[in-house]
Amino acid sequence: MSDVRKIVLAEDNSTLSLLLKFRLEKEGYNLLIAADGKQAIELIEQHDPELILTDIMMPFISGLEVISHVRNKLNKQTPIIVFSAAGQEEMVLKAFNLGANDFMGKPFSPNELVIRVKRLLR
Amino acid sequence: MNASILEITVIIFNSLFFIFTIFAIASYTILAIISAFETVEYMKKNSFVNYNEILSSIISPSISIIAPAFNESLSIIENVRSLLSSHYANYDVIIVNDGSTDDSLEKLINAYNLVKIDFLINEKLPTKPIRNGVYKSINPAFEKLTVVDKENGGKADALNMGLNISKNSYVLCIDVDCLLLEDALQKMIKPFLEVSDEKIIATGGVLRVANSCSIKDGKLLDINLPKKMIERAQILEYLRAFLLGRMAWSRLNGLLVISGAFGMFDKKIVIEVGGYDTNTVGEDMELIVRMRKYMEEKKEKYRVGYIPDPLCWTEAPDTYKTLISQRNRWTRGTIETLRKHRKVGFNPKYGALGLLSYPYWFFFERLAPVIEVFGILYFIFLIVLDDVRWDYTFAFISAAYLFTVLFTILAIFSEELTYHQYKKKGTGIKLLITSFLEPFISHPFILYAAITGNVDYYLKKEKGWGKMIRRGFL
Amino acid sequence: MEIYQNLIEYFENTPTIIQVVWIMSCVFFASIVILTIYLKFLRSHLRKNEMTVAEYQKEYESDLIAYLYSGNEEEEISTEQQIIIDKLKNCSADKFKRRIIVSTLLRLRNEISGEMAESIQKLYFQTKLVDYALARLKSKKWHIIATAIRELRQLQVKEVYDEVIAFVIHPKKEIQKEVQLYLVTLFNFKGLEFLNIIETPLSEWNQIQLLEVLQRFDDQELPEITPWLRSTNDSVVIFALKLAKIYNQFEVKDTLLELLSHQNKNIRIDAINVLAQLQVIEAKNILKSKFNDLSKEEQYAFLKLLENLYEISDEAFLLENIINEDFEIKFATLKILKTLRC
Repeated sequence: MSDVRKIVLAEDNSTLSLLLKFRLEKEGYNLLIAADGKQAIELIEQHDPELILTDIMMPFISGLEVISHVRNKLNKQTPIIVFSAAGQEEMVLKAFNLGANDFMGKPFSPNELVIRVKRLLR
Repeated sequence: MNASILEITVIIFNSLFFIFTIFAIASYTILAIISAFETVEYMKKNSFVNYNEILSSIISPSISIIAPAFNESLSIIENVRSLLSSHYANYDVIIVNDGSTDDSLEKLINAYNLVKIDFLINEKLPTKPIRNGVYKSINPAFEKLTVVDKENGGKADALNMGLNISKNSYVLCIDVDCLLLEDALQKMIKPFLEVSDEKIIATGGVLRVANSCSIKDGKLLDINLPKKMIERAQILEYLRAFLLGRMAWSRLNGLLVISGAFGMFDKKIVIEVGGYDTNTVGEDMELIVRMRKYMEEKKEKYRVGYIPDPLCWTEAPDTYKTLISQRNRWTRGTIETLRKHRKVGFNPKYGALGLLSYPYWFFFERLAPVIEVFGILYFIFLIVLDDVRWDYTFAFISAAYLFTVLFTILAIFSEELTYHQYKKKGTGIKLLITSFLEPFISHPFILYAAITGNVDYYLKKEKGWGKMIRRGFL
Repeated sequence: MEIYQNLIEYFENTPTIIQVVWIMSCVFFASIVILTIYLKFLRSHLRKNEMTVAEYQKEYESDLIAYLYSGNEEEEISTEQQIIIDKLKNCSADKFKRRIIVSTLLRLRNEISGEMAESIQKLYFQTKLVDYALARLKSKKWHIIATAIRELRQLQVKEVYDEVIAFVIHPKKEIQKEVQLYLVTLFNFKGLEFLNIIETPLSEWNQIQLLEVLQRFDDQELPEITPWLRSTNDSVVIFALKLAKIYNQFEVKDTLLELLSHQNKNIRIDAINVLAQLQVIEAKNILKSKFNDLSKEEQYAFLKLLENLYEISDEAFLLENIINEDFEIKFATLKILKTLRC
């Protein structure tokens, strides 16, 4: 089963998580869902995913801290896509400085996300 | 003849105490009713406000968080991080190091890559001079941070320095050891922006007790009820004061105090009235009274706003010693403020401020402990005379006690119906038990502190700034 | 029985005051007992409620996702979708469940765009949830109306424009605010037409929210703002000034210059700031000539303007003001002089 590619999704909106899980699993990925940054870091350490999707604003540990943990503590170059809401431009810049690979501004189209995921995992 | 004088005295005293009690019970009842109405109204209005819609906007007004620090080396790095993580877009943080004798400044410099900068201070408010200078970070991640190092001058002086430094239109004055929730700024600024027919001069926030809550990296992870009775008693005290008392006073537009540890101000007006008074230990209350007085004299329509949401969490004293010294200071602060502005009291020229807020504070905050002590002395006097009707005494004491407990339980209800912060099973019963025990376990100490506060005030006993472990905030 | 008798007797023989005190004690005690029991009930109710909400939310969440993924090309509504529609329609007869369904739809609607967002909106109509929102518009309670308008906005229901616009001058400002947000969110700049008719002040909080919404659109073609700059409602003028600033409305500079002598000080100050940003040189000369008649705040604003627009000819004016007793004026003039001479 090693050919199933794992993706960790950190997002505090459970409905959106579920939607993306369905959508991406249809494309053949294995989605691991975290409701906050803390869970995300645990999942990343446990499963070593091939891609990380994370919201910027989350309770307890923000998406920025997740990125910084992956890049600086775990020293991994796993591609990361961040989700941001309108008006978080400053945060997005910080995310890129920390090593994010791509970002999607909310509201976004799930189909667009699939295209970007595929592009990064090619 | 002697006997009749004594009898008359007894009757007079009895009626005075009786009248005071009736007034106290009546005013508390009225406050509780008003607060119930105001709470319902507030919850309705705010149930569908989306604060996210404003937090990100760069056109939203600029706010400075001013946090004075005195020998806070142990926790300052963490605390500043919490202040820097607000979700509001347009704000900065000014830490005023008030002549600390520890390594606070060095720690800040190292942790936040600070460098000294040239800064021309417009001394709109006189303060103690700068010591080492003004610092800003070279790391863009901390561009919101300014640290000012000045000679020691006390909390009020440090806040005034922060006011001089700030270039923004609104200031949030806060104790550096408070934990601020991420959406605190947009909630506190709201009253200033949404009212257009009167001037909002300040907004007060609520303090919640952070003892025993789990906090990590400046974030509140879990809310717990502390173990010690003294801490639990203070939780109830805070709920009563904030959810019942202040809620009602804000409806009446009669708020006289904004917690020194958490309040937002219109900077322009604070500067016009001359900033914080450095000669009192009750600078938070004194400032509001002075600002109100100023607005009354200018005959401008104004209001002091109030936000009951749990946004700011602070460690309450957990030993009787620190509790007593804190309350001693509050007592002196209240006396000083009321004396300084006695012209306002009972003066119809000052409207509700003079006829409602001031008298209430005078009788039920300032005089209550004094009256209570007189009552106890009088009672002892009666025992000595063997003139006590024990059944009457019992009737009075049980009524007073039950009323206190009832009022506390109302406060618990108010909390449950609004914010329901203590969700864990079993907490309800613990809070109830505490409300029955509180009059015995913490009240005597608070009364003692109030009395020593009075004594200290009249004997002009100087109490140094450095002695304070926690600064006053209620 | 005897104790009871004695108590009655004792009570009858005490003075009225003491009687009152005893009665009060009893009332307090009874209230405490009642409240204690009720508190226990309330807390477990709140706890249970939270769990039930979470359960239903989970259920509706998967229904919604299932609905979104069970469409097909051939049919307008697939059989699976119809089953979900019927289920949600049934559930929404219950107020408690309806609220959870709507909030589930909203939670997703706010985060995604494109086809799926449209499907969610379709579901909102198919389940007749929209009818409940419309019914709430007829409520007598202001906050019910306000939440209904908010729901219609978030689900982008343009079809109820007529029903919503009826509230545009409603006396309750919370309702007014929701109407304005509805108009602007759904109709972009065209929605701003309400500015022509409102007579009550538009609060600062409200203005910021409206501008935030406007900035999210791709189409940034601003309509003619001159009438709003000339509005008799001062808050509309202030709002229009913000529009002029954000959208760099150089075309309205003449109207802006007129506003320099508006009777409202805040408008005059804002006008100076906008003119400074648009770098309108005429403004400088007008203001310089009457500098000493300006209020302090206008003087500060003017000096900010001068910072961008100074010329050699302003030197005399600046020299005059380096001895100004006001710190900020002195400081600002010195700063400009310094750059001027470099």
